[in-house]
Amino acid sequence: MMEKMIFGRYIPVNSLLHKLDPRSKLCAILIFIFIIFIANNAITYGILAIFTFLALYSSNIPIKFLFNGLKFIFYLIVFTFLLHILFTREGDVLVDFGWLKIYERGLTQGIFISLRFLFLILITSLLTLTTTPIEITDGMESLMKPLRKIHFPVHELALMMSIALRFIPTLMDETDKIMKAQMARGVDFSHGSLKRRAQAIVPLLIPLFISSFKRAEELAVAMEARGYRGGEGRTKYRQLNWRTMDTIVILIVLSLGGILFIFRT
Amino acid sequence: MMKRSIKAYVTLGMLSGIAYVLMLLNFPLPFFPSFLKVDFSDIPALIAAMIMGPSAGVAVEMLKNVLDIITTGSQTGVPVGHIANFITGTLFILPTYFLYNRVKTKKGLAFALLTATLITTFAMSVLNYFVFLPMYEYFMGFYLPKEIVVMAILPFNLLKGLIISVAFMILFVKMNHWIVKQQTIFTK
Repeated sequence: MMEKMIFGRYIPVNSLLHKLDPRSKLCAILIFIFIIFIANNAITYGILAIFTFLALYSSNIPIKFLFNGLKFIFYLIVFTFLLHILFTREGDVLVDFGWLKIYERGLTQGIFISLRFLFLILITSLLTLTTTPIEITDGMESLMKPLRKIHFPVHELALMMSIALRFIPTLMDETDKIMKAQMARGVDFSHGSLKRRAQAIVPLLIPLFISSFKRAEELAVAMEARGYRGGEGRTKYRQLNWRTMDTIVILIVLSLGGILFIFRT
Repeated sequence: MMKRSIKAYVTLGMLSGIAYVLMLLNFPLPFFPSFLKVDFSDIPALIAAMIMGPSAGVAVEMLKNVLDIITTGSQTGVPVGHIANFITGTLFILPTYFLYNRVKTKKGLAFALLTATLITTFAMSVLNYFVFLPMYEYFMGFYLPKEIVVMAILPFNLLKGLIISVAFMILFVKMNHWIVKQQTIFTK
């Protein structure tokens, strides 16, 4: 059951995007989500298409990984495209079958909205494809540092995240082991009535909780013994360094916003 | 969130990891569309809330979603579904925690879980109608028939709440001693 699970989508290849600082990637994607809405005509969508293509190209990610797991979303895109074509009644009639009329605005709206969504998911999925979860965690911790002033536990959350990330593979193995042990005793996790399923999950959860609490205790003792005292003034094993390339990437995304703004109608 | 011991943070990290793994073990319900899935990832959050207080439960709910976003990414670019999941989970564990603390019996817990299920179901219908479906429309351009979607989500959330409640009820009765012991360890 667990074999199907792949932990994370990160693809370790060498590329420009892989080498960027996670902070610049997070910021660039956040800016991109906002500026994508500026586009509203053929020229601006063309510029977005070129940008998306260049971003994908510079990530060195094989295309088949890019589209992995996005099947359902593509059905949704096609579905919305058809909805727009069939139900927008503005502009000139392009095709008239009597029972089916396709209007010009319906077609352009359908194409634009589908493209916008496609660009959005492709660019945002680049983050998880080119950055390891632990790098994203470090980047988020660093970006959220100002929130410490209002007593938001940034460092503690990052600590919990990295512990969870470290132990997820272990927990998966353990879950798999317990499930197999239960299946050998005749428990069926994937069939049966809903009440049965709710009952079946209990003998899986109890050993998971107990062993992870034990493990947490051991880890906490080990951390305390090594003098861990929280975030203040700690040095880091994984250093983030912001290079010129990171600044250039942010500038490129910002100027993309500017260009889109000039060409929009 | 108040200051906690290192052990509490480490334990919450582990519980978030369990919640994440349970999230991957999701399954669809019969007669419902395949993208509406049930998982038991609210149970570690409930355990965290019972042992270390409500903010710990909220932290687990948040971390499991953030973990999912940073490992697999969001299918919709903007993680609307994850935000909805976080709010659903929080709206489920907070009423359960506060009601159970009033009446600390088996019946009290059953009542708390049922009320929480009803609150979640009602709140999610309202939020879906006014917040999440408009967000999908805004970001992705999905024009969904809102009334129909809300009507379909309502029985789903009710059923999902009931399944989680049944599982947690059984778990809580079996682990009661252990949970009480952990409470004394973590609150001293």
